[in-house]
Amino acid sequence: MTRFSRRSFLKSTAGAAAAAGLTNLAAPALITSARAAGTVKLGCLFSSSGTMANIEGRLNHVVRMAADEINAAGGVNGSTIEVVTSDPASDWPLYAQIGRQMLQQEKVSALFGCWTSVSRKSVLPVVEQADGLLFYPLHFEGDENSKNVVYVNSPPASSVLPAVDYLMSDEGVTAKRFFMLGSDYVWPRTINKQLKGYFTSKGIPETAWKEEYVPLGFSNFQTLVNQIRAFADEPGGQPVVILTTVGSSIPDFFREFINQGIKATDVPVLGLDVVEADLEGLDTAPLVGHLNCWAYLQKAAGPANEKFLKDWAGYVDAKKVPFKADVVIDPMVSAYDSVHLWALAANKAGSFEVPQVRSAFDGITFDCPSGYKLKMTAENNYVYRGVFIGSVNEAQGFDILWQSEDTPKPIPFSQY
Amino acid sequence: MFMIRPLILGWLFAMAFAAGASAQDLGRADLVARLCGNAAATGDAGSRILAGAGQPDAAELPWMETVISALLDRRLKCAADPAQSVVEGDGAVRSAVTLEPASVPDLSKVPVLNLRSRAILELAQSALRLRIGATPTIRRQALAALGRKAASVPVEVFEQAAAGESDAGLKAEIESTAQISALNSPDISKRISAVERLASTPNRRVQTQIAALQADPAYTSDETFRLTVDAALARVGQGILIGDVLSTLYNGLSFASILFMAAIGLSVIFGLMGVINLAQGELIMIGAYVTWLTQEALKSIAPGIADYYLLIAVVPAFLVTAGIGVLLEAAILRHLYKRPLMSLLATWAISLFLINLVRVTFGTQNLQFLTPFYITGGVPVVGDFIVTWNRLFAIAFAAITLALTWLVVNRTGLGLNIRAVTQNRDMAGCIGIPTRKIDMMAFGLGSGLAGLAGLSLSPIYNVNPQMGGNFIIDSFMVVVLGGVGTIGGTLVAALGVGQINVLIEPLWGAVAAKVIVLFLIIAFLQWRPEGLFTAKGRRR
Repeated sequence: MTRFSRRSFLKSTAGAAAAAGLTNLAAPALITSARAAGTVKLGCLFSSSGTMANIEGRLNHVVRMAADEINAAGGVNGSTIEVVTSDPASDWPLYAQIGRQMLQQEKVSALFGCWTSVSRKSVLPVVEQADGLLFYPLHFEGDENSKNVVYVNSPPASSVLPAVDYLMSDEGVTAKRFFMLGSDYVWPRTINKQLKGYFTSKGIPETAWKEEYVPLGFSNFQTLVNQIRAFADEPGGQPVVILTTVGSSIPDFFREFINQGIKATDVPVLGLDVVEADLEGLDTAPLVGHLNCWAYLQKAAGPANEKFLKDWAGYVDAKKVPFKADVVIDPMVSAYDSVHLWALAANKAGSFEVPQVRSAFDGITFDCPSGYKLKMTAENNYVYRGVFIGSVNEAQGFDILWQSEDTPKPIPFSQY
Repeated sequence: MFMIRPLILGWLFAMAFAAGASAQDLGRADLVARLCGNAAATGDAGSRILAGAGQPDAAELPWMETVISALLDRRLKCAADPAQSVVEGDGAVRSAVTLEPASVPDLSKVPVLNLRSRAILELAQSALRLRIGATPTIRRQALAALGRKAASVPVEVFEQAAAGESDAGLKAEIESTAQISALNSPDISKRISAVERLASTPNRRVQTQIAALQADPAYTSDETFRLTVDAALARVGQGILIGDVLSTLYNGLSFASILFMAAIGLSVIFGLMGVINLAQGELIMIGAYVTWLTQEALKSIAPGIADYYLLIAVVPAFLVTAGIGVLLEAAILRHLYKRPLMSLLATWAISLFLINLVRVTFGTQNLQFLTPFYITGGVPVVGDFIVTWNRLFAIAFAAITLALTWLVVNRTGLGLNIRAVTQNRDMAGCIGIPTRKIDMMAFGLGSGLAGLAGLSLSPIYNVNPQMGGNFIIDSFMVVVLGGVGTIGGTLVAALGVGQINVLIEPLWGAVAAKVIVLFLIIAFLQWRPEGLFTAKGRRR
């Protein structure tokens, strides 16, 4: 009988790690592949395993749904769209690797993908090198302007700052002090850096904010919520939490927040990455009033949204998609918009070549389910989007507390 | 019939009334119109109702309570004409103005409250409930809610409530809370008793409130006041310190209980067979899924006891995961004992298989668990120390599991055999212990313990197919640090790692805490490679 000494244990764990590395090389098998000519291929880079699976996974289906819709209307430039999906397994370097394979082997005309900024940053050199096109459906930290990425969602100046302004206004809660809690990677750190610059420009002293980071996938928020309570009870005015944790850390944080008995009326949380899907499995009655900000909320009024919600429910039902039929989140709508924006540009250009498609972006518009008319200009690859501030309700959803009058001009580089 | 006023006019109207205007000054319809109006109008209506709750005349209070409770619970449906607005609830639709039966108007909306209005309305609701709540329990809850913001409640609310209170104990509590609202009254003796009353429940909020008094003119001019404030601050500071120490210990204990539950099954398996079971995390996940299935089954068969699913699921969670463990051992691992690297890869493959099996069957979304009353919320103890019930549940569950595992291993025949095989497999075989069968039983025991871990973690963590991955590294850390195959070692290592983590986190952050703990473990293993404790016996 063999028994492990500690040394052999370490060796074998190292073996396991090496084996884990090997799956990365085995990635071709992860791409569910292809058919013959007469079609144009679009690639998806959304994880259906790992920490992001619960929220990223559904975007694959939305892209398929949008493609089906366009195909039913006659396709693009006479070709039918074929969607190629993959599973980068919430493993950031794997996004780059699969992205490269999609561009070089599958010859996809455009990529749709990434949720976290760290995955986008890892795909960025790949699309720039191959002159590909990546549609990125998440709101993000800005400070990036590549001709190979279409930033479908909003940079901070047209998402985070309006929400923080609202909290600081008298209509909000006249917020004076800020506890910034985020996952430890580029998006939360850049957002918080910009926020600190913004606070300084508003004359808020450095003692009025606090910044904490947790590892990705972190779940034990006990001591951090203790710290938030201590921070909230200090003098100096109304405290708020600006939450930039991602993935499974969001519901874990809220669960601890509820159990320590903090209400939204005491310390409101502005969850920058919180979507309806994060509230699944939580009793939201004690969370009522907490805020988020996105370019789309499910309660958005208008026929375009009604149609989208109905289409999605029908699609889930028809294709047996393993996600809720009655939950729609901003990145889903943004992914849907992405496919349509690409199709509009490709139609206008009469070509699938990236340079032609890119130069066709100028002036295209699309009626987004949010009720706003999306617009692109020749200036950059950013999209004009509306802004919503949502408030958690008892039904695990968000009520619209405030929305912008029109679509503000996206500003890629923050002045703060 | 009232018509809704144009917003601007309504706002100016609201401004015209200075503070102190109460809800009774307005008609019912006018108040409903304001509650249905924009944020400023709703907030104004809330302040009026709060002031109204302090009026001696209680006739209108039940109506106000009904309407704002409906507004807070989104059961108030507003129409353009306030007389047509309705309150839903208890299976009936009633007019918001007369509370007579009515029908839902064609064009109605449910107002969305902003945080400012919500805070005022919640305070007003508590004030109304304190005065007209049907039972002492309701009134006591309302008092607790008001007590946290006593300084912003009109003192008349407490005076009227105390005058009308029939429960003597509650009456004394109301009067005691009312003292706090006198913190800024002109009467210095009232202020002193308010400070003393505040200091009796020490926490940081109170500390901030009292510390602000040091800038008060009375602090320099009045000797007694100054001494009272200083004594109160010292007392509060001490309370906070005790609270912080207790809360650190509690947090450490809670984290330790999680680590212990995740590691104990692994400790049995790794200790006995030297199999590195990478599927342990997935067995935890399956335990959580069985818990969920039990809950769903109870919901459809016996909804009355569905709240107790966490206790009832103990048996199925243990049996199902133990069964899977036995099956895995008999079908796969048994053939790989002589090839440790292969068994490691095999368990890893099993873990991937289980994750994907669950993903295909249930989907990747987080499962929705009922939150039974016995694990909801918490109770403040001293200072800022709150005992949260779900953590206490996990701690108690870990303690019971520890006791039972210890009993099985040290006081039963199976345990005796397990220990014999752990210490010297060949010798145990020679004296007639069926080592193969013991292996299977022990693997089943270890897997079943993982299932119980899944159960106890389901109120704390998200339950989805990936959840197992969170635990595997931490649990190996604990098992290796504790010394392979000893329950005591696992316990001490879990307590140590938990406590150190909690101590480091507030100082240098959660990321650093993980890194430092890992370094400490590596350094410790350099010094003592066999871990904290080792089972005595002849080993290679």
